[in-house]
Amino acid sequence: MGKKRKQSETQTAEPTNKDEGAPERPKRTLVGWKDKEEVAKQTESNPDSSSQVFRNKEKVMVTCSRRINYRYRHLMLNMVSLLPHCKKDNKVESKSSKGATLNELIELSGCSSCLFFECRKHQDLYLWMAKSPSGPSVKFLVNAVHTMEELKLTGNHLKGSRPLLTFSGNFEKDAHWKLLKEMIMQIFGTPKEHRKSKPYHDHVFVFSIVDDHIWFRNYQISVPHNESDKMVRGGLDKMTLVEVGPRFCLNPIKIFGGSFGGPTLYENPFYVSPNQIRALEKRQKAGKYAKKVKAKTRRKMHELSNPLEPDEFADMWRE
Amino acid sequence: MGLPSKKSTLLTENSEEDDNVMDDLREEESESGSESEEEDVKLAEPSKNSIYNRDGLIEKLQDISWPENVDWMHKLSFDIDQEKEVDVNDDLARELAFYTQALEGTRLAFEKFQSMGLPFLRPPDYYAEMVKTDAHMHKVKGRLLAQKRQIEEAEERRKAREAKRIAKEVQAEKLKERAKQKKQEIESVKKWRKHRQQSGFPAGGKDSELDLGFEDGKAFERSGKKRPGVFPGDRSGGKAKQGGGKGKNGKNREFRNSKFGFGGRKGLKKQNTAETTNDLRGFSKGSVAGNKKRRR
Repeated sequence: MGKKRKQSETQTAEPTNKDEGAPERPKRTLVGWKDKEEVAKQTESNPDSSSQVFRNKEKVMVTCSRRINYRYRHLMLNMVSLLPHCKKDNKVESKSSKGATLNELIELSGCSSCLFFECRKHQDLYLWMAKSPSGPSVKFLVNAVHTMEELKLTGNHLKGSRPLLTFSGNFEKDAHWKLLKEMIMQIFGTPKEHRKSKPYHDHVFVFSIVDDHIWFRNYQISVPHNESDKMVRGGLDKMTLVEVGPRFCLNPIKIFGGSFGGPTLYENPFYVSPNQIRALEKRQKAGKYAKKVKAKTRRKMHELSNPLEPDEFADMWRE
Repeated sequence: MGLPSKKSTLLTENSEEDDNVMDDLREEESESGSESEEEDVKLAEPSKNSIYNRDGLIEKLQDISWPENVDWMHKLSFDIDQEKEVDVNDDLARELAFYTQALEGTRLAFEKFQSMGLPFLRPPDYYAEMVKTDAHMHKVKGRLLAQKRQIEEAEERRKAREAKRIAKEVQAEKLKERAKQKKQEIESVKKWRKHRQQSGFPAGGKDSELDLGFEDGKAFERSGKKRPGVFPGDRSGGKAKQGGGKGKNGKNREFRNSKFGFGGRKGLKKQNTAETTNDLRGFSKGSVAGNKKRRR
């Protein structure tokens, strides 16, 4: 802020100097006399940069539905710890009008995007990713969840350091993948110079499309001990990654035009809801007895319709 | 507003589609028989009436995407091509693909940060809050150590088992060897006897006894632990006799003294002195051979 004010001062100061007709003197600053050329350069570059300067003000609201599983809740908390630019909100009742509620909440908390973990039937987790005022929003089915608490994930990294985002090449394959990539990049990338972020980079996110699912991994970047300050030589070869977690796999279901609603832009043609799968399994199990009975009656009918021919030697030894 | 109506149509569409899906699945199932259902089921072929609004998607993408000339520092993102298709069900291959993708990204980022002269990894003396707590990391460490110990123990057990097996084999080999040697020796003796008999000496003669002694190495051995010229019950080992030459005491007294322990502490006499240490008379070279013989 202080810097900006100074620059505006320089702009106003210059013309008065000229009016007086006095020999131009270097501009005085707090530290001493400033070179004239430098001042000119600054004033010249200033309007240009101010119009083009890009500031990422992303803020993500993270929340979940009521009656969420502990496992999924932990996953959500992991995400909260990974995203320093997020705001955790209270649980939201998961009913048909949740979209409006959520939009309101997002607006109230001044966020620009939202991650909503929706748990249904205590077992299925859906993740909503939405850009707030004008969409789009995506609904994913989440499976293969591993939280950060698992002991086999041995890495650790700074809380709030900005992650590197790596995307697999097949995100460029189709329009909906491109859109998803942009959304993920905006939501999961920590804004530069965010006040809670730290100036180092010691972890990397992996977003990879395998089998039409987006797989998420989080790795810590580690170099052998007491060498991290002299990484220049040979550091590349010794660099290893240790997984920190969490892990999950996102299966996109639908992309909507608005935030939590609006016209459907994309629908996964291969998607089968877990409810259907379970119903199918149940039906399969239920059909066992019916099948047996059916087979029995069929056999009987068959025997009745094709009776055996009377054997001509049947009473050969009877006499 | 057209939204509610649209939603209702969507819903009807959905229900229709669901039915279709169920039909498809049923068909599939009847074809494949009783196949164990996995958690992640996909339709065999894409359903026909799924929506794909490409223009809408692209428009949305343009809406939300950042300006073109945004500095890379804002994004920190990399696109990394997978070399080959990854099989989902092969856990190892899949994880390896993710790992290589992450590693590749890190390398690129590292080079970029180096070229820009920006800090990359945190310096070792930069302490700040971590994602996982120290208590949790302690637990992780404990688990790792436990695993390591388990592996080591298993290894040790395996080694012990192996050693036991080998020792058994060696023992069997030794026994065999010994039996063989014994047989050979007996045979050689027999042969030698035969030879003697043939050459005309009488069996069991004095000479033969002596020779036999030589062959067995008995000549180098003292005949027992006793010293020559010492009574079996002499506690002083024959020394008492040499010391007492007064004449007054009779032979009987001397004998008794030597037998019942008269003449100072016996304990001191049993200690080694420089003299006795250098005195190798008590050791015989043949004793080892003798031992071996006894064990056989």
